[in-house]
Amino acid sequence: MNGAQHILDAFHRHHIGTVFGYPGGCIMPLYDALVDDVGVEHVLCRHEQACALAADGYARASGKLGVCIATSGPGATNLITGVANAHRDSIPMLVITGQVASGMIGTDAFQETDVLGMTLGIVKHSYLVDSAEDIPAIMEEAMALAQSGRPGPVWIDIPKDILLTDVKTPTPEQTQTPSASTPDLSEALAMLREAKRPLLYSGGGVSLANAEDSFRAFAEASAMPGVATLKGIGNAGKHNPNDLGMLGMHGSRAANRAVEECDLLFIVGARLDDRATGKLDGFAPNARTIHIDADAAEINKLRATDVALRGDLSGILTAFTHEMEAQPLAIDDWRTQCQTWRTTGGFQAADNEEPLAPITGPAFIRQLSRITPDNAIIACDVGQHQMWVAQHYHFNHPRHHLTSGGLGTMGYGLPAAIGAQFADRQSTVINVTGDGSFMMNAQELATIRRYNLPLKLIILDNQCLGMVRQQQELFYNNRESQIDLDDNPDFVAMARAFDIPSLHIERTDQIRRGIETILAYDGPMLLHVAISREENVWPIVKPGASNKEMIDEPKRTTTAKKEQVA
Amino acid sequence: MNPTNKNAAPSYTLNCRMAQEAAAIERLCQVVRIRGFRIASMAVETAGDYFDINLTLEGSRPVAMLQNQLEKLHTVAEVVVKQPAAKLARHSA
Repeated sequence: MNGAQHILDAFHRHHIGTVFGYPGGCIMPLYDALVDDVGVEHVLCRHEQACALAADGYARASGKLGVCIATSGPGATNLITGVANAHRDSIPMLVITGQVASGMIGTDAFQETDVLGMTLGIVKHSYLVDSAEDIPAIMEEAMALAQSGRPGPVWIDIPKDILLTDVKTPTPEQTQTPSASTPDLSEALAMLREAKRPLLYSGGGVSLANAEDSFRAFAEASAMPGVATLKGIGNAGKHNPNDLGMLGMHGSRAANRAVEECDLLFIVGARLDDRATGKLDGFAPNARTIHIDADAAEINKLRATDVALRGDLSGILTAFTHEMEAQPLAIDDWRTQCQTWRTTGGFQAADNEEPLAPITGPAFIRQLSRITPDNAIIACDVGQHQMWVAQHYHFNHPRHHLTSGGLGTMGYGLPAAIGAQFADRQSTVINVTGDGSFMMNAQELATIRRYNLPLKLIILDNQCLGMVRQQQELFYNNRESQIDLDDNPDFVAMARAFDIPSLHIERTDQIRRGIETILAYDGPMLLHVAISREENVWPIVKPGASNKEMIDEPKRTTTAKKEQVA
Repeated sequence: MNPTNKNAAPSYTLNCRMAQEAAAIERLCQVVRIRGFRIASMAVETAGDYFDINLTLEGSRPVAMLQNQLEKLHTVAEVVVKQPAAKLARHSA
């Protein structure tokens, strides 16, 4: 076998059945090997960035390794945003790029870029292969590394001549990741029992550690009030009465109030991101902290913790669950207080029941949440619609919510939804996007059509970059700058050009029928939703301010019925 | 971020042993820079399959945070921080 065939052999041994890629000159040996391979399905996207983002969506939805492939030079540079996205959100990903032939490296050859050098800051690790004999061992190590500890992207850059060289070295044994031990919980347990107002604060680390079940068991056994980061949404399930929803810049008043008042933060798989904490000095000012994380570097990174527990989240949470079942926490008053805040300070928005009224983003998302099945996967883009989904859609599982948390990548949602649909062919997968984000990877409509994926696409179209407009309105004296998108294409006609049927709605009484129509359609379908340009996401914390300085929606004169959703 | 003010920031010496591989030194320097430290001096020796790297660093952030980040690098075998750095080393850049 040559180097390229060894790569496919490694895919087979690790049961990698789906990869996302785009061919080109220096990666041709691998694509030549793919011709004879029936065990790996190669998904041809229409842009390398979409390959990486689709691999990301595949990994998030499935919990498996996402794989993307591209050629040297522009193929590799186009991957970078998607790989950076995976890096910031700790997504397990293997990236394989062709490189110019070994002897040509450093000569400014055609389609040569220093991939290793330019990607150092966005990978967990990377390799420039200088011998074909190393490929089997590097593949083995890279796949283990991408998925172990705190996951992340691992990039292998392989010169074309090395892909073509016969390999004589035998394939190494599969790397076994040693199981992490459970640390001593006694100090943390004592602190938890002493606390009068403990608060569970969970993030994306829960699902990254495949600890969803043990987290939910702990949340129920402790009955501790809880808040979640953007990536932690769904950790507690949709029916937990103690879940206060998302905290932070666009979090609920209930969640931010609970953080402000708690005397103990029980942090699970979260990294105290600035969008969640606001100004760090004002975050949980009265609380001691217990921090559970797989990554030692996150402990004490931004705030000194009182007790750190590093290791396997599932094992640690299970041990805590046993303790909670044996002796429940005596926090009835605090729990009642938080439930009161949940009632009065959850996400609220005016649902205008006037049939001819324009559609608002929150009203649409709430309808979507009611109508879609529990196992639906929602892939968002970035902007106002992303926050409306986070606030108003009720997720029952964190892997059902695909969102670009750390990097905030506009254009993420459509390719991520493609990846998720390949990960789970049976589930309903919906890309909720905005008109700005949609245009950043709109070429992937062709990928949906090519594979006849039954994806549902929903564009909340406000004819502008809404989140930027909102911040310009609130924090830049309403001086709008470069946010108008009122020359958007006709999205309905655009979808039709890709042979994807579509529907346009603009009135409140059309919401339900619009959603039901696309869900019932046997194949891909786009729903174009015209919404107001002036709608904002509420509440909001000014960037850099403390969460207690949260700004609520100004009072509006309306006869609309207030609906409690959180 | 901008390099920290070399006149005000504390100084440290840091010894790092890491495997010899493509871009090893760049990888180390990238982490040092992005985590808010300035390299005042640097010496590299090879020891078998490893580099032994001695750095004098300046930065106002907690050096333990940098140590944690360096220890995460797959090819780093050991990181030892000595503080404060010797006065001579501090001005040797």
